[in-house]
Amino acid sequence: MLKKPIPSYQSTQGTGILRSLWTVLRHAFTKRDTIPYPDVKRSLPARWRGRIVLTRDPDGEERCVACYLCSAVCPVDCIHLQSRQMDEGRRYPETFTIDFSRCIFCGFCEEACPTLAIQLTPDFEMCEKHHASLVYDKQQLLIDGQGKHPGYNFYRRAGVAIPGKAIGEAECDTPPVDRDSNLP
Amino acid sequence: MDTILIDGRSIPFEPGENILQAALKADIQIPHFCYHAALGSLGACRLCAVEIKPKDSDKAAHVVMACLEPAQTGLEVSLSAKAAQQVRRHVIELLMVNHPHDCPICDEGGECHLQEMTVACGPSYRRYRGNKRTFPNQDLGPLIHHEMNRCITCYRCTRFYQDYALGNDFGAMRLRNEVYFGRFQDGPLENPFAGNLVEICPTGVFTDAVFRQHFARTWDLKTAPSICPHCSVGCNTLPGARDGTLRRVRNRKHQELNRWFICDRGQYGHQYSEHNTRPLSPRVSGTNTDYRSALAAAAREIQAAAERTGGIGSVREDLEGNVMLRSLLNDLKGIFTAFNDPELETATLTAVSRMQELDNTPHLAALEQTDAALITGDLTFHAPMIDLALRQAWRNGAKLAMLHSSAAQLTQFASTAATIAPRKMHDMLTQLYRQISRQSGANDAVTQTIKTIAATLSQARQPLMAGVVETSTAQDIIALAELAKALESTAQLIYVLPGPNAYGAALLSAAGETVTLLRAAERGEVQTLIVAGSDPLSEPRSGARWRAARQNINTLIVLDCIATATAEAADILIPVAAWPERSGTFVNYEGRAQGFSTVFHRPEYLPSTADIISEISHLLGNPLRDAASMLQDSFPGFQAPAPGTPGAHISAQHLPIQYSELIQTKSHSSNNGWQAALASWLGDDPLAGFSPALTKLAPPNAALINPESAVRASLKNGARVRLWNSVSSVETSIQINPSVANGTVAIQRSILARLGIGHGDSVNLEQLV
Repeated sequence: MLKKPIPSYQSTQGTGILRSLWTVLRHAFTKRDTIPYPDVKRSLPARWRGRIVLTRDPDGEERCVACYLCSAVCPVDCIHLQSRQMDEGRRYPETFTIDFSRCIFCGFCEEACPTLAIQLTPDFEMCEKHHASLVYDKQQLLIDGQGKHPGYNFYRRAGVAIPGKAIGEAECDTPPVDRDSNLP
Repeated sequence: MDTILIDGRSIPFEPGENILQAALKADIQIPHFCYHAALGSLGACRLCAVEIKPKDSDKAAHVVMACLEPAQTGLEVSLSAKAAQQVRRHVIELLMVNHPHDCPICDEGGECHLQEMTVACGPSYRRYRGNKRTFPNQDLGPLIHHEMNRCITCYRCTRFYQDYALGNDFGAMRLRNEVYFGRFQDGPLENPFAGNLVEICPTGVFTDAVFRQHFARTWDLKTAPSICPHCSVGCNTLPGARDGTLRRVRNRKHQELNRWFICDRGQYGHQYSEHNTRPLSPRVSGTNTDYRSALAAAAREIQAAAERTGGIGSVREDLEGNVMLRSLLNDLKGIFTAFNDPELETATLTAVSRMQELDNTPHLAALEQTDAALITGDLTFHAPMIDLALRQAWRNGAKLAMLHSSAAQLTQFASTAATIAPRKMHDMLTQLYRQISRQSGANDAVTQTIKTIAATLSQARQPLMAGVVETSTAQDIIALAELAKALESTAQLIYVLPGPNAYGAALLSAAGETVTLLRAAERGEVQTLIVAGSDPLSEPRSGARWRAARQNINTLIVLDCIATATAEAADILIPVAAWPERSGTFVNYEGRAQGFSTVFHRPEYLPSTADIISEISHLLGNPLRDAASMLQDSFPGFQAPAPGTPGAHISAQHLPIQYSELIQTKSHSSNNGWQAALASWLGDDPLAGFSPALTKLAPPNAALINPESAVRASLKNGARVRLWNSVSSVETSIQINPSVANGTVAIQRSILARLGIGHGDSVNLEQLV
């Protein structure tokens, strides 16, 4: 770092060239600030906003319940999905596509997601030769892990019944009321 | 006018109004749950808290419920007062104590009243950390999904279901903070207006089970004003579509017709357009092809047939499609009719001419003010919303008299009800007419029923005559109109017509053309028949004749959006857009022309009927003008009503009133035999019949007879019988039902069609051993 103001051309005549050569020579032996990407890859913070994934809950089921909030909040309208209902009560996205050629990686979808399903990852290497290849479908988005928020399972807190969790069996529920009785 | 002050703004009010009503009218949104314009105030939710300071009173300002406090001149109301805000905040916080963490998977999300109110006045976080109360859910049938945990106990559902729609299989149970809204046992809700629970519930307890299967959030739905195509009432709807498919249909408020509600057929019958049998590609001689070649083939056949071309429009085809087809046939000098069945044509034209003559056909809102009504036939499944309006009239104290041949739900509210065999209806009405007009025929020999009905109608301030065209003969219709005329007061007259545009179709029809066309087809004089949106081959009464005549028709060209029997039998099938996929005009039972607009386009190319006929006329080398100018020729000064507007009465020349030469008196020779009557149900409509959710609710296809007839014919409940006539025979089982007329066997449309008979025709019945 230069502390003094750079001297004018007039005043550095004679010694200037030598000083510059010396500076360059000295820097050839210091530790460098840049990294030779892609031979060396930087490790990015976990909260880096890169490629979007859909995660699974601790039971290995899809976390996404197809609530459409991500597609609603998306400022560039790059998320498209269609919800379906399994016969037993679980909701899931039948299709889920993100057009990464439009995505601006703003992270609004992650903030809007009430089930912590959609998450942005530190991966940004998504170059493709064809535009259409940047439209990721559900198969490409869905990962097998829980991502940054391990342990959260939306259906354990929701009121609806799913296989393995009847009404009244959620984490903060009391057993269901017997509707055929008036006893307290 | 009297005014109150709301936060410094002067708001006018009518006497009798409460603060909430006055505020809502002035578009001041006082938060509320349990108040509903149709159901009134209850004060159950405690959300509409406001602070008031009575004028000229030494009382201090205090918090009251806006929905229960009558508006008084000079009353100072504060919505923003700290005390009122605090009450509202606490109410929301308490409601949210037990509300489940369901919003992401709740179909109400995005149009949820509770969500909106919580955002508007509640706290952002739930402070209470205790456990939540839960309720088991019920299976309420294929139309409604029940999620009782979400309930906030506003009582809107029971107030609608029990008090407004007058259903009795749903209500509130239990007590304290554990009030449960449901049925005694699992099972489909029986009331034909149950679907409105979805709209009336301020949160997600009742959600649309059909929409749920293919769900989209409200903000993603494409909507545009449309008209319900399932009956002649013409309720205003708001279909919602996404990604080229129709997802749901909701009620759209019309001040004079359906106001806040819609029937289940209107709300759930729309899935016909998504049915997997729907024709989406043109077909020529059984092979799929494109529009260009299908239209070319059609034009070739029409050219070859020239004046030997026939055209059948439809009561469910819009005015534009019907008028274009009529013009095409006029140019070719062929025969055009909008009806499949000669008797239905006569009945409809008679009904329309009588309504034009009396010019006193009420809209639904006026219907609720009627104080006595004579109803012939079943209104519930022919025009459900007229039934709902009459239920309101009954609540207001109206006396209902019913004459019916088969089961009719309204009888439970009738002060006088009589079961009359179809062919005895005319006698009954004539006797009633004589009794009312004190004609020479009137004597003491008439039954007590007739005396009671006559007395009720004569004493009424504004009596109403309501008939169902499909189950009436032209003579019954004339008799009912004469009855209305005999009542010197301001008697009103309603005929439920057989389709959404039956009124318009009648205006475009010339009397007697249907029978002319049918006879010509039978004689082999029709070489090419164009059928637009109609199904002559499965028509109950004349279907058998059309099926026989089909053999003499060289080319059958069908334009339709559903796979009817006629469409299946077509030589050239040209698929057309369903109602939400095109724009057009329907004329409802009162003669009100209402426009509907294109809500969305499917991925497939699907033009409207009018477009296709215009295209064919171009190929024929004699292009027709556009439908709008054609309609102006038929109806001077006609302006297509803009979709979303209340519509206007169509100004048309009155149809000629006398049809006596066409009204053939049926032979009563087989009076001892059985008479068939039409047993209708919720999905009994050509379009709604393709809606899977409604067909799940179809009643068993049995033959209904009354106990007296059963004893006479020694038939037991469940006995296997054969119904037969000269055309064919059908095996079915007997169901004993006291609301069927004596000597009458009530059967569904499908059986009538197989036998080739209509309402009131003779049928033979024999027990199978």
